[in-house]
Amino acid sequence: MTHFNSALHPAAYMYAEEERAGKLSRREFMTRATALGLTATAAYGLLGLKAPAAAAGAQMGGTMRIQQNVVAMKDPRTFDWSYLGNVARCWLEYLVEINSDGSMRGMLLEGWEANEDATQYTLHVRPGVTWNNGDAFNADNVVWILNYWCDKAVEGNSMAGRMSSLIDAETGMAREGAIVKLDDMTVQLNLPASDITVMVGMADYPAAVVHPSHDPENMVAQSLGTGPYKLESLEVGVKAVLVRNEGHTWWGHSAEGIGGAYLDRIEFVDYGTDPAAWMAAIESDEVDMLYENVGEFLDIASAIGWEQSDVTTGATLVFRFNQKTEVDGMAPYADVRVRQALSQAVNNGVVLELGYSGRGTEADNHHVAPVHPEYADIGRPTFDPSGTKALLDEAGMGDYEFELITLDDDFNRNSGDAVAAQIRDAGANIKRTIMPGSTFWNDWDKFPFSATEWNHRPLGVQVLALAYRSGEAWNEAAYSNPEFDALLAKAMSLADADARREVMADLETLFRNDAVIIQPFWRKLYRHFRPGVVGAAMHPSFEIHAYKLGFSA
Amino acid sequence: MGLFVLRRVGVMILTALCLTFVVFYLTNLDPNLEKLAKTQGNARMSDEQVQTWLSNRGYDRPDYIKYGEWLGVLPGYVIEGADGDIRGRCLRAGVTAEDAPRFCGILQGDWGFSTVFKEDVSKIVMIRLSQTAKLMGMVMLVMVPSALIIGVLAGMREGSRLDRTLSTASIVTTATPEYVSGVLFITIFASSAVGLKWFNGSATSAMENMTFVNFTLPVMTVALYGMGYIARMTRASMTEVMTAQYIRTARLKGVSFRNIVIKHALRNALIAPFTVIMLQFPWLLNGVVIVETLFNFKGFGWTLVQAAGNNDIEMLLGVSVVSVFVVLTTQLISDIGYVFLNPRIRIS
Repeated sequence: MTHFNSALHPAAYMYAEEERAGKLSRREFMTRATALGLTATAAYGLLGLKAPAAAAGAQMGGTMRIQQNVVAMKDPRTFDWSYLGNVARCWLEYLVEINSDGSMRGMLLEGWEANEDATQYTLHVRPGVTWNNGDAFNADNVVWILNYWCDKAVEGNSMAGRMSSLIDAETGMAREGAIVKLDDMTVQLNLPASDITVMVGMADYPAAVVHPSHDPENMVAQSLGTGPYKLESLEVGVKAVLVRNEGHTWWGHSAEGIGGAYLDRIEFVDYGTDPAAWMAAIESDEVDMLYENVGEFLDIASAIGWEQSDVTTGATLVFRFNQKTEVDGMAPYADVRVRQALSQAVNNGVVLELGYSGRGTEADNHHVAPVHPEYADIGRPTFDPSGTKALLDEAGMGDYEFELITLDDDFNRNSGDAVAAQIRDAGANIKRTIMPGSTFWNDWDKFPFSATEWNHRPLGVQVLALAYRSGEAWNEAAYSNPEFDALLAKAMSLADADARREVMADLETLFRNDAVIIQPFWRKLYRHFRPGVVGAAMHPSFEIHAYKLGFSA
Repeated sequence: MGLFVLRRVGVMILTALCLTFVVFYLTNLDPNLEKLAKTQGNARMSDEQVQTWLSNRGYDRPDYIKYGEWLGVLPGYVIEGADGDIRGRCLRAGVTAEDAPRFCGILQGDWGFSTVFKEDVSKIVMIRLSQTAKLMGMVMLVMVPSALIIGVLAGMREGSRLDRTLSTASIVTTATPEYVSGVLFITIFASSAVGLKWFNGSATSAMENMTFVNFTLPVMTVALYGMGYIARMTRASMTEVMTAQYIRTARLKGVSFRNIVIKHALRNALIAPFTVIMLQFPWLLNGVVIVETLFNFKGFGWTLVQAAGNNDIEMLLGVSVVSVFVVLTTQLISDIGYVFLNPRIRIS
């Protein structure tokens, strides 16, 4: 895809300047430069660096056993777990891919360009890609999948949120003229306003590209895709087995810089949510890599002799108040004073220490991470436990018994305990409830006060748009503030991170003043794997790129 | 005898009907249906969406009609949903409305469709039951002979040092629940913490390839717990027999102690433990829940937990039917076996 870089996007030079001046971290630079259509090599080149060499060669063949929950397969655009993406990624592929270092590269797209104000994108389809039923992959498929994502009427279609700038608000479908096929290998996207998140949205786990004849009911049996593997069996809660698709020539083998698909067989084995069971699996030699490792089990796995891989991210745990949920006929968290009182009782550093053993960085209750390019530092949130009781009394909730509900798994539970203990110390009355996954997930978005785990996303505005914009499907805080929506829309139209940062400062302040969430920390994410496993580095979004996995030669 | 068996089968069917109706009623309570809709549809559905989801799939109709459909005495529903799709109880992927049978309940051999596992209930039951059967079989092989030996040895001479030692051991193993002994075993025999690492602390690989290394700990965990109980029963029965008149007579006649135990006492002493052993089957079927979860062995107990956790109605009903069958069949066997062991008992 080097030939698309004859004219580099002007903003890329600007980002490179910023990186040199220290305004951007290298990771942010890579994300943003590659999102504008640069190759990783070219982006490193702008910094005057050589791109890191690809992972040392792995031998062909072998079976990789991966500890990961195995959940029922469903229509990719409605995926609600990264697990689904990891299994599907073996036979379904993505238009673009974000790597562990934050850089983006084309997969089914060979490359793309954005115009100067990021209102028009030109997507170049990778030549030579075929579906495993023999059909060729071309611009028609790209147009079809974009329209498929834009169908807002489908229940639980979270891709519609990511593609919102392509969607006509009235019809709930793709806007006329937004997606244009220029020729057999080129598609053009025309946006009404600048949108910098379109390309990264295409890399997220629900963005798996399916065939136009895709039938969600029949996905498992058909295993119709462009990838190197096919699904052999999937037993919910037990195991998913993928094997090399022998009759299918995978484009990646011949594409420059891709390669891989070393393994003959990949097994995802379900060991439940208890990390002790994962350790037992390691000790019993039943797995070769973990999906994720957490807390005290990091030391145990390292002591066993496995390799640890970590990545700093915008993944986090958010204690959110649901402002609409009613308890006994009244919504306890509708009043901003109540939310403020509870959040100022909590010292985030303490929660980080007790809940996540200090394996991360402190967060500031506004859900924009220092690793995000547009992060504006607005200082630490108010910590004033002595004022909590007075504020609650003022709101008439001084004697109310609050309830904090969390999932029963290592750090959710421990962090919840640390939050509740501090609230209790501040003089409020709070009950702690811990639920197993089977009961927790049934009502989790309705719980009045609970914890939600959020994955990392490359841009700060993305999470805000998904999680806190009025009426969004994933807005379990039930936060609705027109002023916030307007500021967010403004931020999302600014391609320049500096300009955006100014808006973000206002946005973060507004959001924090509304005391929507208590957000104690940003997580570092960890994964352990057996020595000799290649291509299993931890990914900020928990992605496992099956074609990169292998055993070292 | 024939009449007796026939009557027991009748009782079995009646029990199964009652039990499945209770399960059916409980799983069809409104909050449980809402939970089902949310786990199956998506976690963020509004109340109206939940209602539409349920009515599209016929869940909002009276319980007795739905139960009749599950039994197969009423024709399965065919509903044109609010979204225009036609759904029916008897419609599975690849079957059109015209080809589908009218009745598809348990009487027609259709156990229904598991919403959690996305498979036919009968298939899941077979797969998972066979896994648990493996575990149960091994447990029985270890537990029964050793429990009987311990019980007989302890009961031969009541109050002897051997009796006290074995009795104490039996009480300790029975008093230690599986979730305690299982964790202890894993720590001692399977983890790097102690360093023995003789066995595996996870039995997942045993589902496909059962070996001494990966199956010992789960089998021992269940077996030890049941072993103490059976051994105590055997001991009680043995001591009672050993004080009986005919044993004293045999003794006076000069029969050797060895022959008294083996030829005269054993058969009579085994009647009570036989019933207890048969009672272990239903206990094992549900008692393995903890062990299967602890060792991540995906059998019947694990399936029950998953189905209950997700309100998988037809899966739970399938589990109930199997449980009733196992409980009552083992009871039947135990009653018939009793007759052979003790000629004084007559059936009918």
